[in-house]
Amino acid sequence: MYKTSIKLSLIITVMSLSLTACLPNEKQDAKVTINKNPYPSTYQALPQQNTLFTNATVLTGTGERLDNADVLIVDGKIKQVAKGIIATDTVIVDATGKWLTPGIIDVHSHLGVYPSPGVESHADGNEMTSPNTAEVWAEHSVWPQDPGFQAARAGGVTTLQILPGSANLFGGRGVTLRNIPSQTMQGMKFIDAPYGLKMACGENPKRVYGSRKQLPSTRMGNVAGYRSAWLAATEYKRAWDKYNSDYALGENPQAPKRDLELDTLMGVLAGEILIHNHCYKAEEMAVMIDLGKEFNYHSGTFHHGIEAYKIADELAQNGNCVAMWPDWWGFKMEAYDMVEENVAIVDAVKNSCAIVHSDSSTTIQRLNQEAAKVLYRANDNGFNLKVEQAITWITANAAKSLGINDKTGTLEVGKNADVVLWSANPFSVYAQAEQVFIDGAKVYDRFDEKYQAKSDFLLGQE
Amino acid sequence: MQLNPFTLKQFKLSTFVITPVLTLVLMLALTLAFLPNAVNAKSIAITNATVYTVASQGILEQATVVMDEGKILAVYAAGDAPEQFDTDEILDAKGRILTPGFIASMNSLGLVEVGAVARTRDGSDEKADITFDASLAFNPKSTLIPYARKGGITNNIVAPESGEGLFAGQTFAVNLSGEFNSIIAKKNAVLIYLGSENKGSRAQKLQLLDNKFADAIKKSAKKNGQKKNKKDEEAPALKRKEQVINALLAGEKPLLAYADRATDLLALLALKKKYAIDLILVGASDAVLVADEIADANVPVILSSVDNLPSSFDSLHGSLTNMAILAKAGVKLMLMTKGDSHNINQLRFDAGIAVANGLSKTDAFLALTANVADVFKLNTGRIVAGKNADLVLWSADPFEISSKVDLMWINGKSVSTQSRQDALRNRYTKQTNMPRAYSN
Repeated sequence: MYKTSIKLSLIITVMSLSLTACLPNEKQDAKVTINKNPYPSTYQALPQQNTLFTNATVLTGTGERLDNADVLIVDGKIKQVAKGIIATDTVIVDATGKWLTPGIIDVHSHLGVYPSPGVESHADGNEMTSPNTAEVWAEHSVWPQDPGFQAARAGGVTTLQILPGSANLFGGRGVTLRNIPSQTMQGMKFIDAPYGLKMACGENPKRVYGSRKQLPSTRMGNVAGYRSAWLAATEYKRAWDKYNSDYALGENPQAPKRDLELDTLMGVLAGEILIHNHCYKAEEMAVMIDLGKEFNYHSGTFHHGIEAYKIADELAQNGNCVAMWPDWWGFKMEAYDMVEENVAIVDAVKNSCAIVHSDSSTTIQRLNQEAAKVLYRANDNGFNLKVEQAITWITANAAKSLGINDKTGTLEVGKNADVVLWSANPFSVYAQAEQVFIDGAKVYDRFDEKYQAKSDFLLGQE
Repeated sequence: MQLNPFTLKQFKLSTFVITPVLTLVLMLALTLAFLPNAVNAKSIAITNATVYTVASQGILEQATVVMDEGKILAVYAAGDAPEQFDTDEILDAKGRILTPGFIASMNSLGLVEVGAVARTRDGSDEKADITFDASLAFNPKSTLIPYARKGGITNNIVAPESGEGLFAGQTFAVNLSGEFNSIIAKKNAVLIYLGSENKGSRAQKLQLLDNKFADAIKKSAKKNGQKKNKKDEEAPALKRKEQVINALLAGEKPLLAYADRATDLLALLALKKKYAIDLILVGASDAVLVADEIADANVPVILSSVDNLPSSFDSLHGSLTNMAILAKAGVKLMLMTKGDSHNINQLRFDAGIAVANGLSKTDAFLALTANVADVFKLNTGRIVAGKNADLVLWSADPFEISSKVDLMWINGKSVSTQSRQDALRNRYTKQTNMPRAYSN
């Protein structure tokens, strides 16, 4: 017995030594990896033109306003913002009396997934078959011929996030698009923008599934649903982390079974996918913040946030962006406590991130006016906000929410040349976007039909 | 002019020397006699205003408007005003713009508090038919009303929502005073929704509508014939539904028809011609395709200025410029807001958007005021002597987002634009160490 056991242990030692020695080449199976970008962007900027805008009122998106300033865009980037720029080989646009802003960004749109015409065959925005559909990706529903994209571009929108609807606790992934005409979703996809995950609080999930006599039928049911999902995602991530580390140690572990739903949730836990949470009420946003802490992810951007003003300090402290309408209300109980100064109250707190969003194919065409409503109603009631701050709600802060603020959202040197030339102060009801640029390429011109794209759908309709 | 506060005070003081019983009687008499007036307005002269009369006088600079007993008493151009006014109040407008109160239409104001809360919705009913009178459900205390006043809206045409039958019911007119007596006119138009159907054909409703009119004419002809034969017998009373059809045929009230596709609009114009009914088109997305026909038939159109996407195959020709095109063709326009009833204060911004896309300011003001008043026979919508004193004094251009209502009057009575939203804002912008629930 004794001898045998020594022999055995010797054998085992020898075996494990030899295993370690020859594993990488011989005994390890091929590494199983998850392709995180299986539908990659094929976006290319439209023909670029180096352009110098002269003598404009410039709102930079960084909170600054420059009067009688010039903006130079070269090779698709912001090259210079100053007075009296001299440049050769550029198109010169006399912007005297006109205003220049960064391209408008909408963090909450359903264009392409709930397009016009709103026929049943086009209702592709919400997979309302299970409270957790984290496995669906809005990009797989995008119809690029939605005429709403063209209308939004005429309103200066250069970048937008397309989100699934809000019937589910986890609605699926959102996708960030460049607002250029394309035959494919991939042709519009914003290069290197992180994915979003749509979550929803409150009335919608509990109504949709409660009416089917399944969880959730209450707000506490909603939260139980999130927690169960995050528990599963935590286990899933642990399994993958273990697989990856064991493999790195030279072992030959069994890869966990792929699960599309958990892939997305794991992406959130890994900090690669950003949360975009439809959530109206103060007490629910506070619970969602704690939920994120419970499972070690950041609760991201709250969308709609009708009651954000009630907990503005907490939201800023926790680093949440809040995307809001200026004045929608009353369409359901959780939207009853609207105040017109919501955005301004959120914005007034240090380190806040207040955003004006549309969630509408109509108001996405005039996000400048949506922001204007906040600006002026707040100033009617004791605020002292300026246009250069208000523009950040639809540019820089929106870019931050989408994780693309290193690329767009301001007119800082080196950023993508996403620019809107306005006929007047964009916070006027009479202002029109006259020219719109994405990555230095003119994509819209109010006075030149060559730059007015039209959807296939509307072609030949008399 | 009205009893001024000083006189009232004197009168009250004098009651002290009279016997208690008499006092009581006098007080009661006083209350009965003067309460309506006390609730009613003071007499006011608004001087130095830029007055948008929306009438033949056009825009008057440095003008004066006098209101009393709830009506506009006089409008004076610069220099024409008397030197002194015998009014309770004189208000220097300091050049600000005074307009008629705006008139919204085709919404559920006062019939809905929270869209998704069924028990706060009274705008539709399964059993609703052509006789449906939703004004019985109108709630002047709805929180939507003060919020709507922020948009300078003083009057509104409330419409029932789409019903299951041929007709959705009848509309009614209200002012936005928030008082229990704010209904101006009940059952002032019959509402029908036409166009594409989820099940079945659009032809069915058009055919039914035609038949309703034809049958009613036939029946009344027959009845007239019978009367001649049996003079002694009373004709049987008409059914309520038939009475409404006859009212339409007699032009006593208009037919408000929601329709978008050009073929539906033309079918309605043909019915108007055939039966000489008073027709108003609503929505009318394709109206630009048949603008001349609509103008020639003198049919007014109620529409949104921001409905520019092809939301269905019935509406492939939406554009922000449609209002301008229709106005140029001579169509009488009325502006309504898109979407639900909670944000009808947007009406003025929608007018601004229409102006930014080619509509003249004159036509835009008409679409918010006089045109609606004329079509629905309301004594408002213009700043002219004799009209109801429904007036708004603006901080600046009423269509601009930066402007606001400074003062407004409904039937000559000053009304506030403070709403529940302001109370919430005040509560949450106050400095306090206690929970917000302790702040008002």
